[in-house]
Amino acid sequence: MTAALLLIGLGALAVGGILAFFPRGFRAGVVLQALGATAIGVAGFWVLGTGAVLGDGFTSAFAAQVGVDGLSGLFLGALGLVAAPALVFSLRYVELTARGRAIAGLTAAFLLAMAAVICARDPLTFLLGWELMTLLPAAVILLARAGDERARQTVFSYVAITHLGGVGTWIAILLLAEAGAIGNASAITSGSGMQTAIALAALIGMGTKAGVMPMHVWLPRAHPIAPAPVSALMSGVMIKVAVYALVRVLVEWIGVLPLWLCLLVLALGALSAVGGVTYALFEHDLKRLLALHSIENIGIIMLGIGACLLLRARGADQWAAFALGAALLHTVNHAVFKALLFMGAGAFERAVGSLEIDRLGGLLRRMPWTGAGFLVGAMAIAGLPPLNGFASEWLTLQALLHVSQHGNVADGVAGAIALGALASTAALALFCFVKVTGLVLLGPPRRKAVAEAEEAPRLMVGAVAFLALACVVLGLAPGVLFAPLVGLAPWPTTEPTGIGLHLPGTGSLPTAGIALVLVALTAALVLLRGRRSAAPAPSWACGQLVEPELNWTSSGFTKPLRLVLEVMLRPQREIVVRSEGGVLQEVSYRGHVPHLIDERVYRPVVRLSLASAARARRLQSGSLGTYVVYLIALVVALLAAARIGLIG
Amino acid sequence: MNAGTTAAGAAQIAGGILLAPLLPGLIQHWKARLQGRRGPSPLQPYRELRRLWGKSAISVEGTSAVYRLAPAVVAASLVAAVLLVPAAERAPNWGVGHDALALAGFLALARFALAASAWDVANGFSLMGASRDLTLSVFVEATLILSLAVAALVAATTDLTGIIAGTAGTAVWSSPALGLGAVAFALVVVAETGRQPVDNPDTHLELTMIHEGPLLEYGGRDQAYLQWAAAARHWLVLVLAVQVFLPHPQGLWWQLALLPVWLAVLCGALALTETLVVKMRVLLVPRLLAAGAVAALLGIAAHLVGIA
Repeated sequence: MTAALLLIGLGALAVGGILAFFPRGFRAGVVLQALGATAIGVAGFWVLGTGAVLGDGFTSAFAAQVGVDGLSGLFLGALGLVAAPALVFSLRYVELTARGRAIAGLTAAFLLAMAAVICARDPLTFLLGWELMTLLPAAVILLARAGDERARQTVFSYVAITHLGGVGTWIAILLLAEAGAIGNASAITSGSGMQTAIALAALIGMGTKAGVMPMHVWLPRAHPIAPAPVSALMSGVMIKVAVYALVRVLVEWIGVLPLWLCLLVLALGALSAVGGVTYALFEHDLKRLLALHSIENIGIIMLGIGACLLLRARGADQWAAFALGAALLHTVNHAVFKALLFMGAGAFERAVGSLEIDRLGGLLRRMPWTGAGFLVGAMAIAGLPPLNGFASEWLTLQALLHVSQHGNVADGVAGAIALGALASTAALALFCFVKVTGLVLLGPPRRKAVAEAEEAPRLMVGAVAFLALACVVLGLAPGVLFAPLVGLAPWPTTEPTGIGLHLPGTGSLPTAGIALVLVALTAALVLLRGRRSAAPAPSWACGQLVEPELNWTSSGFTKPLRLVLEVMLRPQREIVVRSEGGVLQEVSYRGHVPHLIDERVYRPVVRLSLASAARARRLQSGSLGTYVVYLIALVVALLAAARIGLIG
Repeated sequence: MNAGTTAAGAAQIAGGILLAPLLPGLIQHWKARLQGRRGPSPLQPYRELRRLWGKSAISVEGTSAVYRLAPAVVAASLVAAVLLVPAAERAPNWGVGHDALALAGFLALARFALAASAWDVANGFSLMGASRDLTLSVFVEATLILSLAVAALVAATTDLTGIIAGTAGTAVWSSPALGLGAVAFALVVVAETGRQPVDNPDTHLELTMIHEGPLLEYGGRDQAYLQWAAAARHWLVLVLAVQVFLPHPQGLWWQLALLPVWLAVLCGALALTETLVVKMRVLLVPRLLAAGAVAALLGIAAHLVGIA
């Protein structure tokens, strides 16, 4: 029954993808895709809820096998949950040109590739799906931005970086297959060199795909230039598939890790969380800012996974399972609110053009429905009660606190540092999304197109509203999803009960009660306040008229933090004052917060490899004589080596 | 629910909601005395709330529902936080739990609503205050969570009733873990109550405001809500300081009896620091708060090493 639903869903996605290529079939094709995605999502969550296992089990042999278990079910469910509204959104977002149709068709293929990775039960299918999952969005971006030189450059670096990093995935999966450890945790001994090699390769390969710092450089470049529904899928689902792979390898397949590797995962998580959100704060393009927040949230997920590994290494199995549940719950939550924010941004872009954050404003009044949905997403990602981000961030905080409780001095202090880092991350995310809310939704409109913006078409609003509702529901009843997630841990655990989060050793988080108290109190206070107000007046600016030039900008709002973090961020600024005959004519200002990992790590590497390539090129003179000399030298060297006994 | 729990619940509601404005009132009163002035009566905040309640609210041109709802959301999340923080080692279940780490969420919601309202009115002074408040919050939140984590580790639970019971006695004087946690929490108290050296609550100069800045565009009942919320913040952090980080006896009745005494002592201490310490440059405050976070980390390390 469930298997049939899943197969129907995949089939509908494939047929819908083909249909979408034809002018007549575009609409029907995309609708069919959305229905297919819904079926996949329902089937996935069904498998998770019932604990059923469909299809084959895991094998290390190179024979194509597919199947679905609880963990796969979760990620299929998340895929459906994000893809269905994204596809409905794309009905109105994608233009009805040949290019738009090709994008719609390729989107279906992209979704199928991700489903293939999630359902793969053997190394070959997994790696095939993995490669397709990397290449298809590149094709979509190239199609959508045909003729855009910079976009092509960006796609090239995306493909290059994910493939260079992707080598890690290949090494990890092939080593696992070699050891016969795919689906068999006892095949690898804890503390062996094999285990270390697999774990490091997986962290590099899958970490690159997930956007973990410092392997993240492609992500803030590639995600923003894709069409909005595809950005939603890339940030909402694709990087989560990498999380899926990491959980499979690190938690399920390679046994209990040595302490230093667990600490490495924790450190990568903390770096990504704090680094991602800090750079997002100083970003001026809305979609790029959202992409940087994906790095932050992947960091929070990695903190959960790191806590799980550490607690497992310390024998605290129950809390290790809670930590895993926290990481997976945040994975779903982030998929939902990030897709919501990307689609909201897409709707704004369609209505007003550029998404430069300082040139928007007041969109909550012009586009009330999309704006309200976007506001819900912003509050969810900032981790505010009673929405879903709050529940999973609270769980992650608890998991990190328990790392300190169960650990020795070294890992205990590491857990505490991670705890502080996560608390700061939450505050920074709040800072950033106050800024986004203010500059995009509130205040005066900053240019003419924004002042005349019109509400998005109904289907787009519907997609945004559906995801906003999902944020609320997951925030009200996180326990319903959390319990089966705890049960996904491959060791014996007891699952918590109830729709809130009631865990032993905590003050518990009765999410529904919190929501009820907050809403009821707010309503009561609004009633108590009454409607008495003076006539509207302009805001107070010491008697000055509030001119558009006095509007606050993103850089202005974040300036105190930029100054506080100056030592670490090394912001650059340039002020040019032009005066003529003692009269000031013009002052121009440029500020910029460089990404230090780009500038200090990758740029030297790129420069070095280009320089060595240039040096190597000198060998290629193009004259036949030189090549003959090379050949003779090689033969002589080989003969000499054979004579001494080095070879042969 | 027995008599003790009922009494603790009554103290929590009466103290957190009705008596909270008395705390800043007392601090202002004693501060004036320490500075050789007669100063306002400790009841002055209540008079101000009554005055504001009778006035009509301001409405600012070009604002949206965010501006109108913000004061109610701020007050509601502070009421929820008051329900979350118990007054003693037992408390009735108000439906929001008693988890220490969840407290940060309610304070964050209030901060979000107020800062968003500053963007809505687009007043430069409001935004200046909001941006400084959010900058400091990055460090306050880490210090708050870490100092509560010290107590949670000592008590082996994050349930605040359990923490109050688990840290009872005079261990805070002898245990370096709790002592360092107390140092960190003291900085949280100063920052959350908006007092010197972090902020000057008496300032009337918009350019120097932090916590007061976003309040500039409100009047009437809206402003009453926001001023009450500031007072409730005093109650929250001071009660936590008393029942977790200061020596408190075992047993609910003793804890309730000693609470007002300790609260008065802490108000006096805040009045004294307000008198003796001048406001820091705003960009230096994060360093102070970061030092608090480091102290809390040292406390956790001390607990892990096992120095009791």
